[in-house]
Amino acid sequence: MKRRFHIYFLVFFISLFHVAWSQDLSVTGKVTDKSGNPLESVSVMVKGTSNGTKTDKTGAFKVKAAAGSTLVISYIGMETQLLQVQSNKPVVIQLTEKVTAMEEVVVIGYGTQKKSVVTGAISSVKAKDLEDMPVTRLEDALKGRTAGVTVASSSGQPGSQSTVMIRGITSINNFDPLYVVDGVPVAGGIDYINSSDIESIEVLKDAASAAIYGTKAASGVILITTKKGKAGVLQVNLSSYVGTQSPARKLDLLNATQYATLRNESSIAAGNGILFANPSALGAGTDWQGAIFNNSAQIQNHELSISGGNDKSTYFASFGMYSQDGIVSSSISNYKRFSIRINSAHKINKWLNFGESVAYAHTKSQGGFDPNGYFGGPLSSAVNLDPITPVVITDPSVIAQNPYANHATSILRDDKGNPYGISSIVGQEMTNPLAYAKVQNGNYGWGDKFVGNTYLEIEPVKGLKLKSNIGADLAFWGNESFTPIFFLSTTQSNLTNANFNRGMNKAFNWIWTNTASYTRSIGLHNGSVLVGSEARNNSGFGISGTYIGVPASTFGDASMNFSVPTTNTQAGGYEYQPYNISSLFARLNYDYNGKYLLTAIVRRDGSSHFGSNNVYGNFPSLSLGWIPTKEKFWPVNNVVSYLKIRAGYGVNGNDNLSAFQYVSTVGGVGAYPIGGQITTGNAPLAPANPDLKWERTTQSNIAFDAIIFKDFNLTVDVFKKTTSGMLMQIKVPGYIGAANQPWGNIASMDNNGVEVELGYRKKVGAVNLDLKGNVTYVKNKVTNIGANNYIAYANFQASSYEVSRKVVGQPVNEFYGFKPLGIFQTQADINSYVNKNGGLIQPNAKPGDFKWADVDGDGSITSGDRTYLGDPTPHWMLGFTVSAAYKNFDLKVFAQGVAGNKIFQQLRRLDITTANYQTKALGRWTGPGTSNDFPRLVDGDPNGNFSNPSSFYLEDGAYLRIKTVQLGYNLPKFLLNKAKIQNLRVYISGNNLITFTKYTGYDPEIGGSGGGWLFGIDRGIYPQARSFMAGVNLTF
Amino acid sequence: MKYKPLLYLLLIAGITQFTLSCKKSFLETAPKGQVLETNYYQTADQAYSGLVAAYACLGMEADNFGNNTYTDKLGSLNSAGDECYAGGGGPTDMNFWQVWNTYTLSAAVGPQADFWAIDYAGIYRANLLIEKLNGTITGLSDANKARYIAEAKFLRAYYHFELERLFKNIPLITKPLASSDWYSVTQAKPADVYTQIEKDLNDAITVLPSVILPSEYGRVSKGAAMAELGKVILYQNNTARMTEAAAWFEKVSSSGVYSLLPKYADIFSPANKFNSESVFEISHSAAQNAGWGNWPNFSGNIYVQMTGPRSYSGPIYWSGGWSFNPIIKSFATAMYGDPRYGATVANIDSIVTATNGSYVKGYQNTGYFEQKWAPLAQYVSTTGQQELNFPNDYIEIRLADVYLMEAEALVRGGGSQSTAQSYLDKVRARVGLPSIPATLDNIYNERKLELATEGHRWYDLVRTGKAATVLSFKGFKAGTHEVLPIPINELNNTKLVQNPGYN
Repeated sequence: MKRRFHIYFLVFFISLFHVAWSQDLSVTGKVTDKSGNPLESVSVMVKGTSNGTKTDKTGAFKVKAAAGSTLVISYIGMETQLLQVQSNKPVVIQLTEKVTAMEEVVVIGYGTQKKSVVTGAISSVKAKDLEDMPVTRLEDALKGRTAGVTVASSSGQPGSQSTVMIRGITSINNFDPLYVVDGVPVAGGIDYINSSDIESIEVLKDAASAAIYGTKAASGVILITTKKGKAGVLQVNLSSYVGTQSPARKLDLLNATQYATLRNESSIAAGNGILFANPSALGAGTDWQGAIFNNSAQIQNHELSISGGNDKSTYFASFGMYSQDGIVSSSISNYKRFSIRINSAHKINKWLNFGESVAYAHTKSQGGFDPNGYFGGPLSSAVNLDPITPVVITDPSVIAQNPYANHATSILRDDKGNPYGISSIVGQEMTNPLAYAKVQNGNYGWGDKFVGNTYLEIEPVKGLKLKSNIGADLAFWGNESFTPIFFLSTTQSNLTNANFNRGMNKAFNWIWTNTASYTRSIGLHNGSVLVGSEARNNSGFGISGTYIGVPASTFGDASMNFSVPTTNTQAGGYEYQPYNISSLFARLNYDYNGKYLLTAIVRRDGSSHFGSNNVYGNFPSLSLGWIPTKEKFWPVNNVVSYLKIRAGYGVNGNDNLSAFQYVSTVGGVGAYPIGGQITTGNAPLAPANPDLKWERTTQSNIAFDAIIFKDFNLTVDVFKKTTSGMLMQIKVPGYIGAANQPWGNIASMDNNGVEVELGYRKKVGAVNLDLKGNVTYVKNKVTNIGANNYIAYANFQASSYEVSRKVVGQPVNEFYGFKPLGIFQTQADINSYVNKNGGLIQPNAKPGDFKWADVDGDGSITSGDRTYLGDPTPHWMLGFTVSAAYKNFDLKVFAQGVAGNKIFQQLRRLDITTANYQTKALGRWTGPGTSNDFPRLVDGDPNGNFSNPSSFYLEDGAYLRIKTVQLGYNLPKFLLNKAKIQNLRVYISGNNLITFTKYTGYDPEIGGSGGGWLFGIDRGIYPQARSFMAGVNLTF
Repeated sequence: MKYKPLLYLLLIAGITQFTLSCKKSFLETAPKGQVLETNYYQTADQAYSGLVAAYACLGMEADNFGNNTYTDKLGSLNSAGDECYAGGGGPTDMNFWQVWNTYTLSAAVGPQADFWAIDYAGIYRANLLIEKLNGTITGLSDANKARYIAEAKFLRAYYHFELERLFKNIPLITKPLASSDWYSVTQAKPADVYTQIEKDLNDAITVLPSVILPSEYGRVSKGAAMAELGKVILYQNNTARMTEAAAWFEKVSSSGVYSLLPKYADIFSPANKFNSESVFEISHSAAQNAGWGNWPNFSGNIYVQMTGPRSYSGPIYWSGGWSFNPIIKSFATAMYGDPRYGATVANIDSIVTATNGSYVKGYQNTGYFEQKWAPLAQYVSTTGQQELNFPNDYIEIRLADVYLMEAEALVRGGGSQSTAQSYLDKVRARVGLPSIPATLDNIYNERKLELATEGHRWYDLVRTGKAATVLSFKGFKAGTHEVLPIPINELNNTKLVQNPGYN
């Protein structure tokens, strides 16, 4: 079925763009490089037609063309040449190599610019950098490739978004960059795009370049340009890979004997009895992680594209299919995506262009558990469950007992009909993860996303372009979930009614942009002016319904066609609050002889998120550049053959907050039964803040780009970014009685940093070597939090103690807690830990307990003894790629890492006394001299050894990861030519092969999502997979 | 110039859009499903829904104000007293209850943050309504307006009293706070708080109706306000004012509105909501058909779910209980033989033996469970999530409590001993017990038995000074544990001062 679709697709597009041509002369010739070596597979096209051919391995070609027509001879990496056909006399064409990267064109927002005259900090990733790399998500394509861009996986759950951060945490509010795809700002992730559809990705890092996007550009902008067709012969491209994934690491948890031994010890220490009479009889017990991990989870990706056209119309169409199983409980953790794209551009006549791009993607994902949470889910259960309970119960005498006997119809069973083990030791949300997976089976989330734009461009006078572009991002998503009758444990059960829930949501964003640009050169003065206006609107809604008591026992049988009494149907819904933005903007680019450069931008945005006091925000920027190597005084030399110095300053904004926070609105705040009727109460939702205004980010950037020693490309950027008036919800005192927390312009923060990118390209003998590396250093500091002393962040399990704080002078969300000074080895140690009055600082401590630092010096250990413990945000980020090509072989190694951060690891549930431990606990204190860093175990934990948030939980988060190793082989041309294949490359690739780290959790790569939630806090994160893939890239 | 039409088209588009971009109305949008506060509180319906919002905080068991935790006052108080343990699945399950059970509360760990947030939310909503009702309300009669204000004042007094007796040193808030005042608030003297509470209740009493129609069950009556006022005076422990307290109780007792139910066990049945003994009742309902998605705005009574025996099988109880608040053996023993024992204590061990059932023993299991709040099988909801839809109400003040408080006030204030005796006798006679002398000890003991597990015991122990002795087995320390710590987050950036012993 799928194959048939491919064929229809192909036929459709071929017929759509088929253009007839006339044939006159038969032109023959030969194409060589400048040394006269024949060039193979050079495209030779008759201009204005789709008629053309390619050179063979002797460089020869033969093509039919009308006299007077023009041949377009093009080849990757070479300057394109034009040749007028006069006779059928053989011709010899010499192609010259394109000059270096500096002549590349980069996308700068509402236009393009030659890289040589760019003054902002823009990093660019081109198609060729991506096409050989099997990336599972588009954000990953950016990982480690450009300085200043941090990409951290928020979890290994298939389909989950990565955290992308440009130049540090720009704002507490939200540091997600703005994604703009072909001029359309796209919400909710960019995973709908096939990686082989991408022509280029540009990252606008500094304010001077991002200012053109004003609003929402404070955290940087990622511009994605998709491929357009090129005039020439029809080109078909297929890239595919299949692979297998496995967990890179398991946690070391206690086995049954060790567990029983430690639990006995902990119970006895609390004055209670022995729990397990004979621990060694329990043996190794159950490996819950082994039960849920999949060591051969499948991953595959297939992308097919067709492109071509003539000088009037070009097209690019693609189809993609991606499927990935998760490595944790794969039956409820997987992801599938199907995508289609059609881009085309039409030159109606000399002055009128028209084009459009439309993409559609369907996604389906299963992942019904928190990938970094300790409230249940297979991973959390595997970490916390006791190793004594077996996975499956086979002993009939146990099955005859409760809870198996009295819940015989609602317990879950394996394929052989044996009940899954139910722990009588560890309860609450922790359940047998295999049984849990069965309860969740079939439940899934889906998405249908359309992103498209269409434009009309007129060039009435040479250099003047008027363009109108309408873009839309339409997304539908929802879920299907069935809750059968089940009994997983005494607290996790559904005993009466099976429920079926279905929900769907829709979001629609449109954007209409009109621009006028004029480009003109007078003598050595080159100038370009752009003015534009833009309007945006967001809307959406969601609705969900539940049928309670559906007569079905499996997801497959559940349906809303069953009728249930209306009292057993529940429905809910919501709508987006209206949200509009309107903007005016202008940009001036000027250079003198490509030597002195200037870019000036101003943008004015109005947002409905602000009241009449502050509707509009102005965002100016200015950047300057100078290329001294172009000056006469610069001697011709090989040390610095090219140098560009640039500096910029600009302002960006952020209006990321809920609507109508500048006024007080009244809505439902709870209900009360009156006269037996549930009656809704209405009250103000949050105190109003009429002075709410844009969050402002100003950024200065000084940089240089250089070519040194001929083969090295070096770019160094130094930046200072200041975000002020950060929009966030204020945690107001409870005595105010507000239902929700109001928004305010609260805090300010600095991010200062240096980025260095170094590239080296050289042909060493027969080996083409290409090395690229980048290092970023960013230092974050909170400079103001208004009237607050501090802002607390993320609770430590079941306490009101926060894990981290925002406070002036410290990095954002620095970990905060108690500080152990070691462990009391003897009662004498406790007795000698005295305050200035001679009293014991920890009178209730026992040997084996932590000796807490009396930070505030008040002579006792209180909540005031907490202090700053470490920074969750990496200071150093590093990425490097080594590419080497030898004859038909190519090898790529890509590595990436971070340093300077701490991870707060809280995997074990503290409110479950009986939860399992990591093997670290075997090194606990058991008597004088046994340990000075892992305290004794005692039920109830009276000294707060574990229940106090402390540096005990902090670990070094530095890592260096060999992200990808790939070996490719290009099949020789002489073989391919026979099959009319232009290019065929096969490769094998391994991802996440080795990670160098001291971190003891699953994965040191801990991203946040949704504005920094849980940054650096590991609650049992879904680990990333180690994967091996084999793939093929085919072009014909 | 053949392209002129297109050029014009584009120019028009540009101009239109330019105009649109500059047009303010494009940016001035109206909220959907919410009403600007400035446009609200203008009709009778809107005023009523504002009143309901103030009532809604009465029934909240889970916190909707940033803490996002389930706490519930009754479960917490029962965990703290000598009637029950915290129980549950383990020594840290429902940790806020556990730490009150073991008196290892700290400013960061305990149930206080939820109590604080919910009661102050109620105060804000009452204050706001009182302020808004000063304006013109279309369609609201003067009588109803006066009644709404009276109810709001009752609620403001009630929430303040809850806070006062839990925390002692609290801010007194009598109007919505302007943002300029958010951080300058200080704790009031307890005497000032009490003065305001009494003033509000006195105001309410003059307006509130004596009898509440069935269609209004859940709203407060004159009797409720009078009983509450008597209780507020009683709690101030001022012997000179005991006569005054007794007089308010007497107005309730002799109002003719209330009478003791003949059968003690009937008082707590969901089938007998707002019965003749109920003076002030906090209502719950299964009609919400709540699912977990309703968190934390549940109308059902979740505490009922919490107290059920764990994994019970048998005919009487719901099978999915979570075994919280098992009754302490010594308390069960003290009640054993009392006619009220069976309606108060469920001896699950003997029940499962008799009915050939079973249950799983939870943490701190004693075999004794609460019967007044037991999740009886017949009241398990057939719609919504069963755990979340028990319909049982709480009776905050019932007539027997009023009788006993009046007897206490009379004895302490040197009032009519015979009247005190008659009320103690009535309470005992209802369950077939003979008269005993109306001494303070006997009255307190009667309170213990009559009102067991109804949320009064811990307060009674504290206000009578017995807590340190009676609760020493749980770790109660005199001078600290009479009140809860001020929630740690309330000290951030504010002028509030922590209660002694909790620093």
